[in-house]
Amino acid sequence: MRLQHLYYLVLLIVSINASAQELKVDLSYNYSYSNQLDKIIQTYNFSRPFLTEKQPLFMNGLNSSVSYVFKNERHLKSGINLAYSYFRSAAENENFNMTLQLNFLKLGYFLHYENPAKWKGLYTDIILSATSSGLFRNVNGKAFIYDEATSKAFGIGGELNLKLGYYLQLKNQTYVSPFISIVYTPYLYSPNSEVVINQTKGLCAKNWTSILGAQIGLAVHLRQEKK
Amino acid sequence: MDRRQFIKQSTFFYLGGLLIPSTLLSSCRKENLLDVVKFDGTVMIIGAGAAGLYAGYLLKSKGIDFKIIEASNAIGGRMGKLEGFADYTIDTGAQWLHGKNNILADLIQAKNVQTTLDETELSYWFNSQIVTTLPQDPFIFEEENLPDVSFKDYAHQKGFGTEYDAIVEAIAGDQGASASLLSAYWNSKDEENWVSGDEDFKFQQSYFEVIEEHIAQPILDQIILNTPVQSIDYSADKIIVEDINNVSYSADRVILTVPISILKLNEITFNPVLPTEKTDAFAKFGMGPGMKVFLKFSTKFYADALYGGTICGAYVDDTVGKSTSANVLLAFIMGDQAAYLHSLGSDTAITNALLQELDGMYNGQASASFIASTVFDYTAKPFIKGAYGFSTIEMGNAREIAAQAINKRLYFAGEAMNINGHHQTVHGAVESAYNAVVNFLNDSKK
Repeated sequence: MRLQHLYYLVLLIVSINASAQELKVDLSYNYSYSNQLDKIIQTYNFSRPFLTEKQPLFMNGLNSSVSYVFKNERHLKSGINLAYSYFRSAAENENFNMTLQLNFLKLGYFLHYENPAKWKGLYTDIILSATSSGLFRNVNGKAFIYDEATSKAFGIGGELNLKLGYYLQLKNQTYVSPFISIVYTPYLYSPNSEVVINQTKGLCAKNWTSILGAQIGLAVHLRQEKK
Repeated sequence: MDRRQFIKQSTFFYLGGLLIPSTLLSSCRKENLLDVVKFDGTVMIIGAGAAGLYAGYLLKSKGIDFKIIEASNAIGGRMGKLEGFADYTIDTGAQWLHGKNNILADLIQAKNVQTTLDETELSYWFNSQIVTTLPQDPFIFEEENLPDVSFKDYAHQKGFGTEYDAIVEAIAGDQGASASLLSAYWNSKDEENWVSGDEDFKFQQSYFEVIEEHIAQPILDQIILNTPVQSIDYSADKIIVEDINNVSYSADRVILTVPISILKLNEITFNPVLPTEKTDAFAKFGMGPGMKVFLKFSTKFYADALYGGTICGAYVDDTVGKSTSANVLLAFIMGDQAAYLHSLGSDTAITNALLQELDGMYNGQASASFIASTVFDYTAKPFIKGAYGFSTIEMGNAREIAAQAINKRLYFAGEAMNINGHHQTVHGAVESAYNAVVNFLNDSKK
């Protein structure tokens, strides 16, 4: 990002009045597709015919987030978002039950748009997040340890999340909103993912991946203003 | 549109927008690599070492027709077993599982194979005495930015005197190399990709038996022994593999898993000839002499592991991890030392040379308690001719080039062809084998 672009981004954030407006908590089902993680797990499964139960792909997960929308009378608001996503891949074989746990922690800034006059309860969020990931291998219920260290792979990257939701009022200041999101991580640098899963380095995958995902979930909103 | 209508429509929208693409994407995403690739041809695997056996094992699991032809009269390549020498089965070739973060560690856990962590403490023969610590730590070869000089020269550059030469020789011997030929730089580059772990494990049964039982057993009927290959003609649609008795075998793909020494020596001719880049790459590999001698004694007078002998760089108690009352010392000899012992010409002469050195170290106890010995000289084995492949000075990307397939029809596997830092190991050979199978199936996509 060029310095000039960064300046405009900061200006945009500052220009939006920053006092409490809305607190939002959500929980969603997360469908995810990562070509490189798929490739690693597929290679793992392919190369180990002695394991009859195949390791599932990281496809289905859960996502939860907390968002804080800054006060603003305009239709376009901004806020910050902290999200956690969890994916699990477990295969039970005789003497060898392997579970892979993939965790994401994301801290994002978002723009929130709603226009009750035109859109009624519909809203949309665009969230830009810095993402960190942690991948862990458990074997037979225990963290897999070798050379006195846990098998793990950390990653870092960025994510773009486009969300569409619809407010439904429960009480005066309490709303719920069903929502869907398209989530795209163009770059997640995680050089040890292959080491953790397939126990090789540089054999079957790149040291980074992109991830495309979709979420469907429900958010609970505590809003300062009555809609 | 009222709220109810909106919710109804948006519900359809959400479900349609998310679940239908998800379902479609899920149906395209297979847990297994290349599940949709069908290969109806025949694969010929040359060599029944760990790589050849695993390639066959994998092809069998995928329902692909294959045959393995092996030059010698036994499977295993640089793995083997010796029964009757002691009260346990001795691994005459590879005997340690190097690290537990690898495919074979997964196999042994899944098959409930018992292993023992080898926690043997190293001692050194230094300035004519046995010591447990050295004035300078000689394990200096895993640092970054090492120069492209030999282990021996690098040790001298770092101020290690000639009194360390035999210890450096033993360290290089771990790589199957002579210290004067193994590149400090390229070896350290290889080590950068080593992710298997630094712990060594020994098997209660033999390593060979583990591979034999779990990998080779299901494919034994596909292995043809005593069939040294002399030529491979891949000029026509069908590849013709011809053995030294001029018997021909036809295949659609060939996976060559012979030791790099065989390729370096051009013991198999190719038609068309292999690209110069390929043969140049083979030439850059080192594959030095290697020998294992098992010495049985009536008493255990020796250290668990001793580095620094001038006849044998590394003496190791072979019974670690075994249920045994026997005293068996392994003389692990590589590089120049193996070449010297090989030149002595007989097993008796080799044993005597080792006993003489051990007597010098242990005040004559070796000869006094000696019972028997057995020599496995891999240099003398006509279809192996050495220990294992190592990175020489100016190695460059020779390993990557050597491992590349030719015309999407000839594939290369084996420990030396492992391009992810695990060469010189059994699990590295296995990885190279499945990588060759993955590549050939990928190349076979219509």
